[in-house]
Amino acid sequence: MFIISFLVRRLAQGALIIFLVTLLIFTLLRVVPGDPVRLMAGGMAPEALIEQIAKEMGLRDPVLVQFGRYMSGVVRGDLGQSFVRPASGASTGGSSFGDATRGERADVLTLIGETLPMTLQLAFLAIVFAMLFSFLVGIPAGLSPGRWPDKVAFYVSSIFISLPGFWLGIVLALLLSVKLGWLPAIGYKGFAYTILPAIVLAVELSPVLIRTLTGSISSAMMMPFIAVGRVRGLSQRRIIFAHALRNASVPLLNLLGIQISGLLGGVLVIEFIFDYPGLGLLTINAVLQRDFPLIQGIAIVTSAIFVLINIAVDLIATLIDPRLEY
Amino acid sequence: MSLAQTNLSLKVTAPEAQRGASLSRRIWKAALASNEFRVGLVIFAILGLAALLYPALSGIDPTKMNVAGRLQSPPFLGDKWNWAAPLGTDQIGRDMLVRSLVGLRYSLLIGLSTVVVMLIIGCSLGMLAGYYGGRIDMVIMRITDAQLSIPMIILAITVLGVSRPTIPAIILVLGLSSWPVYARVTRSVVMTERKSEYVRAAQLSGASDFRIMVWLLAPLVLPPIIFVSVLDVARMMIFESILGFIGLGVQPPTPTFGNIIADGRKYLLNAWWIATMPGVFLCLTLTSINLMGASLERARNRIYGGVS
Repeated sequence: MFIISFLVRRLAQGALIIFLVTLLIFTLLRVVPGDPVRLMAGGMAPEALIEQIAKEMGLRDPVLVQFGRYMSGVVRGDLGQSFVRPASGASTGGSSFGDATRGERADVLTLIGETLPMTLQLAFLAIVFAMLFSFLVGIPAGLSPGRWPDKVAFYVSSIFISLPGFWLGIVLALLLSVKLGWLPAIGYKGFAYTILPAIVLAVELSPVLIRTLTGSISSAMMMPFIAVGRVRGLSQRRIIFAHALRNASVPLLNLLGIQISGLLGGVLVIEFIFDYPGLGLLTINAVLQRDFPLIQGIAIVTSAIFVLINIAVDLIATLIDPRLEY
Repeated sequence: MSLAQTNLSLKVTAPEAQRGASLSRRIWKAALASNEFRVGLVIFAILGLAALLYPALSGIDPTKMNVAGRLQSPPFLGDKWNWAAPLGTDQIGRDMLVRSLVGLRYSLLIGLSTVVVMLIIGCSLGMLAGYYGGRIDMVIMRITDAQLSIPMIILAITVLGVSRPTIPAIILVLGLSSWPVYARVTRSVVMTERKSEYVRAAQLSGASDFRIMVWLLAPLVLPPIIFVSVLDVARMMIFESILGFIGLGVQPPTPTFGNIIADGRKYLLNAWWIATMPGVFLCLTLTSINLMGASLERARNRIYGGVS
C-alpha cells in the first residue's frame, strides 16, 4: 500500500516537473535570438522564402499556440520531426533544404530511440567501473581514518576530480589508442568502443563516490552494531560487507541518484570527443544546428529519466534500509 | 530611540557573531595546518602569479600569429632549442604558454564569478526559506527540488547555443544552473538558528527581519558554506572549459582552455602539445583548488560535526 501511494505521488510530481521543463525549454528556444529557418534554408535564401517556410511550419504563430500544438502531440507520443535531419540518417546541415524533402525528415522519437541505448550502455559501464574503483580505494580508507589509505583516497579523489573529462579523453585516446593501439577510440563499431569513454566517465564519477564511501564507512564502523558483531564473533569480512557496507550504501545510493545528473554533463562532452553515437552527441549537434524539436524531445526524455531514476533510488533505499520512509 | 534599539541588539549579537567568527577561524586554522591544504596553496600561488605576471612580463601577445614559427614543439622535447616559446606554438604560431596562462585568467575569473552568483542566489533564497518558513519555504523548496531534477546542462547549452555566449552570459547561465545546493544547506542551518534565544531577543528588541538576516544570521551561517564553495570554483572552471570546448564558451580569438584544446584536437597527431599542455595547467589549477577546498570541507565537518 505504501509503495503504491508513494509511486502515485512521485509520478504525479514527476509529470509536473517534465511539463515545466518542456514549457521552459520551449519558451527559451523561441525567445532567444537565432532563427532556425534561416539556418535550415541557408544564408542565401531570400527573405520571402524564409517567411513562407516559417509560416508553413507554424513558427510565426504565438508561442502559446505553438506550445499547445506541440503538447497535444507529446501526449500522443509524437515528439515531432527534426528540423535538419533526414530520415535516411546523416545530418544534412542547412544548405540542402527543399520543400520536397520535408516529409522525409527524421522522427525525433526515432532519433532518441536509436541513441539512448548507446548512452545507457556507456553510463552503465561507467558506473560499474566507478563503483569497482571506489570500493577498492574507499573501503580501506574508511576502515583506517587518518592513516595512509585515507590519505591516498584523499589525494586520488582530489586529483581525479580535477581531470576535465574531455581533456582526459583526448590524452587517453592519444596514449592508449593512437600510440599503444590497445583500445579503439573514435566512433562505434562494437562494444570495445565503449570501454575508453566509460573509463573517462568513471574517473569523473568516482571522486565523490570515494569520499562518500570513506565517510559513511568510517562512521558506520563506529556504530554499536559493529561492536556487537565483534562480540557475536562475526568475521571481520562479514562485519564489513554485510553490516558496515550495507549501512554505508544508502548515502552512496542517494548520491548516485544526484550524480546521474552530473554524469549527463560528462556524457555530453565525452560522446562528443569520442564521436560516440549516443544521446550526448545528438544533443550537442541539435544545439549547434538549432534543431528545436530535437532539443525539446531530448529535454523531455532526459528529465523523464531523471525523475524515474530519483524515484527508483528512493525505492531501493527503503528496501536497503527499512527505517527510511518517503 | 532607534539608537537604544541598536545598542540592545548589538549587545545581544556580539557573542553570537563571535561564535561564528571563531568557528570560521578554527576551520581556517585546522585546514591551514594540514599538508594537503599547503600543497594546494603553494601550487595555486605559483600558477596564480604566473597567470598574473607572465603575459605582461614576457610581452608576448597571445593572439599574435607567426606563421613561420608555427607548430614548434616545446624545447624540452629536444627538437629545437627555442626558448622563446617554452611550451611550443600552435597551428598559426601563437605562443602556447602565454595562451594557456591567459586562458587560466579567464577560467579563474569565470569560475569565481559564477560561484559568487550561485552563493548570492542560493544563500538568499535559503535564508528566506529558513527564516520565514511556511509558504515561502514551501515555494522555494519546491523550486529547488524541481531544479535538481531538471537536466540543467541541456538548458545551459541551449541558451548559450542559440544566443551569443558572452562572459556575463556564461557566468549567469552557470550560476543559475547550480544554486539549489546552497539554498538547501543555508535553509537547514537557518531553520535551527532562527529559534535560538539571540534571534528571539533581537526580534523582541525590534530589529527588522532584514537586519537579523544580514547582521545576525549571515555572519554565523555563511562562512562554513563559503569555505566549501571553494570546491565549486573548480567545478565551474571545468564547466567553463567544457563550454569552450564545444564552442559555446568565450569566443576566439580570446584564448580559453576549452577553445585551445578544441583547436589542438585537430592537430593531435602531429602536434600533441597544443591540446595537452593547456590541460596540464587546468588540471594543476583544479587540483590545487580541490586540495584546498577538500581540506576546508574536512575541517568544517570535524568542527561542525557535519552540518550539511
